[in-house]
Amino acid sequence: MKTINRTLFVLALMLSATSAMAQTATDSLRISTVSHMVGGGASQVLDTYLSAEHFSGPGVTYLCTVERQRPQRRWGTIMEHEVNFSSVSDRTDQRDELEGAYNFYWGRLRRWQLLDNRLTLQAGGMANASLGFIYNSSNSNNPAQARAHLNLMPTGVASYRFSVMRHPVVARYELALPLAGVMFSPNYGQTYYETFVRGDYDGNVRLTTFVSAPEFRQMLTLETPLSASIALRIGYLGNYQQFHVNHLKQHVYTHRFMVGITRRFSIISRRL
Amino acid sequence: MMTVLSHKLNIVHRLCPFGFMQTLNRLHTVALMLCAIFMVTMFTSCIDEDEQPNTPTGNFEALWRIIDQHYCFFDYKQQQYGLDWQEVYVKYKERVNDRMTERQLFEVMTNMLSELRDGHVNLGASYDYGRYWAWKEDYTSDYSDSLERIYLRTDYKIASGMKYRVLDDNIGYVRYESFADAIGEGNLDEVLSYFLLCRGLIIDIRSNGGGELTNAERLASRFVDEKTLVGYMQHKTGTGHHDFSELKAQYLEPSSRLRWRKPVCVLVNRGVFSAANEFASMMHALPNVTLVGYRTGGGSGMPMSNSLPNGWMVRYSACPMYDSQKRQTEFGIEPDISLHLDDVDTRRGVDTIIETARNVIKGK
Repeated sequence: MKTINRTLFVLALMLSATSAMAQTATDSLRISTVSHMVGGGASQVLDTYLSAEHFSGPGVTYLCTVERQRPQRRWGTIMEHEVNFSSVSDRTDQRDELEGAYNFYWGRLRRWQLLDNRLTLQAGGMANASLGFIYNSSNSNNPAQARAHLNLMPTGVASYRFSVMRHPVVARYELALPLAGVMFSPNYGQTYYETFVRGDYDGNVRLTTFVSAPEFRQMLTLETPLSASIALRIGYLGNYQQFHVNHLKQHVYTHRFMVGITRRFSIISRRL
Repeated sequence: MMTVLSHKLNIVHRLCPFGFMQTLNRLHTVALMLCAIFMVTMFTSCIDEDEQPNTPTGNFEALWRIIDQHYCFFDYKQQQYGLDWQEVYVKYKERVNDRMTERQLFEVMTNMLSELRDGHVNLGASYDYGRYWAWKEDYTSDYSDSLERIYLRTDYKIASGMKYRVLDDNIGYVRYESFADAIGEGNLDEVLSYFLLCRGLIIDIRSNGGGELTNAERLASRFVDEKTLVGYMQHKTGTGHHDFSELKAQYLEPSSRLRWRKPVCVLVNRGVFSAANEFASMMHALPNVTLVGYRTGGGSGMPMSNSLPNGWMVRYSACPMYDSQKRQTEFGIEPDISLHLDDVDTRRGVDTIIETARNVIKGK
């Protein structure tokens, strides 16, 4: 437990350090970009606590992305809420699972403007808090698997502005990679009865690294303005969550075609 | 050499405009970042599990492996009757080929699972349920629903899954057929209140095949006045046959509501299995409780489930439970008074086991 606390403290320290770098100016213009997207696509689920079989099927995702940037500052903030739900079956269509998760991402990104501001690169880190479940409709004392983890993810974003038929388009690519985190997992053959009814815990909170939990997430979008402050955004979101702890393996791969609206606000904030 | 290089760099600095060098520096930073991302990506791989093909041999391999990695009684059954799971593989592997029908495969795989002699091990297909029930089918029933009708008559009470009445000699009788039938605290309050003036209580769980362990615990908690050690439990921590957690003591917490302190007899037979076996184990650890009947059926491994490439469900014992003396109860619990139903008594409409329990209570 001491090790976990120490790790969480270090994660918090790293994030607060990056946050502190950006807070020097007093008066500034802040540009907020808020995007709401929904999407559908395929999901692939494996959880060896529930079944040795792979499950696949359709799923839906809602994604809300909020980016805040002060033009005169190098560091900006990104915040994302991602909710997904999948209904998957095994290869014979006889066994079914339901999968759902809520992922919250909060991060700080440093910005570089290149090629006459046509190319914007951002790099930094995101903290990811995730809660989810996988429910197997056939199992008895292992009917579901709870998913909970906290991750620190190095993140990069590249945005490129160009024109198609004199129509401005922004291509944006976001990649978040695994570094370290902490997660909940039952032990290999441990039942939830032992954990939650008897209160017998055994290695249920585990530290993870990019080796034991090589999760990553990528999103490629194209955005074109519909009006002065509203733009249409379409793209692909791939979220690949996986871990191998307590001799249990799990992966939840979601591939989504996303479509949504992006709005930009300019806010003048005054601090004394 | 270094001097020449430095000189050339100076020339480049002088010749290049400031903006170009700034861009160069930025690109350098970006390149470093891309390298870092690439390095992390190198370590990022897919976590996956090999799938067996959906063929008779593939399903056989998958089943054998699931049991090999998850089943919890290999060591105990090796000691009891020489179970060797590797030998079982060799024995049944030669009976499986990719030309056999689905039903033939089902039969072979059910027979293989029967080697485990475990009522919690099952194979489920849409047309059949593979099972090992010799633990009760090879024994006399020691329970008769005709006799139950004689003792309960027609004016008995029903509280959730419990049928109950006061017998003629002022002894309370409760028939609880399945721990799958939920009982609430309110039900227990009412039943125990009804028996308040009785001299003792008979809880008849004969042929109770189990259900929810929480129901068993809720009922047992009415018979303890203090936190009582009633058993131990552990679980597998890895794929090996010896990978287990430490034994974790299981305590029965006394109910904060109405509790029973007078003598209790719990009636058991071979049909007492799983959660009912665990109830018998917990009650056996209590001082004012007498187990009467025949050895229980056992089933002390809490089962978990998995599935095969062809969609069949497989259930297996995953977490072993022990009694308060750390003894295995997988093959049953020997009661304090061991007896069968007597045929002559049965013909006369007398339940030998109930009558013995009445005498035990009267003698206390």
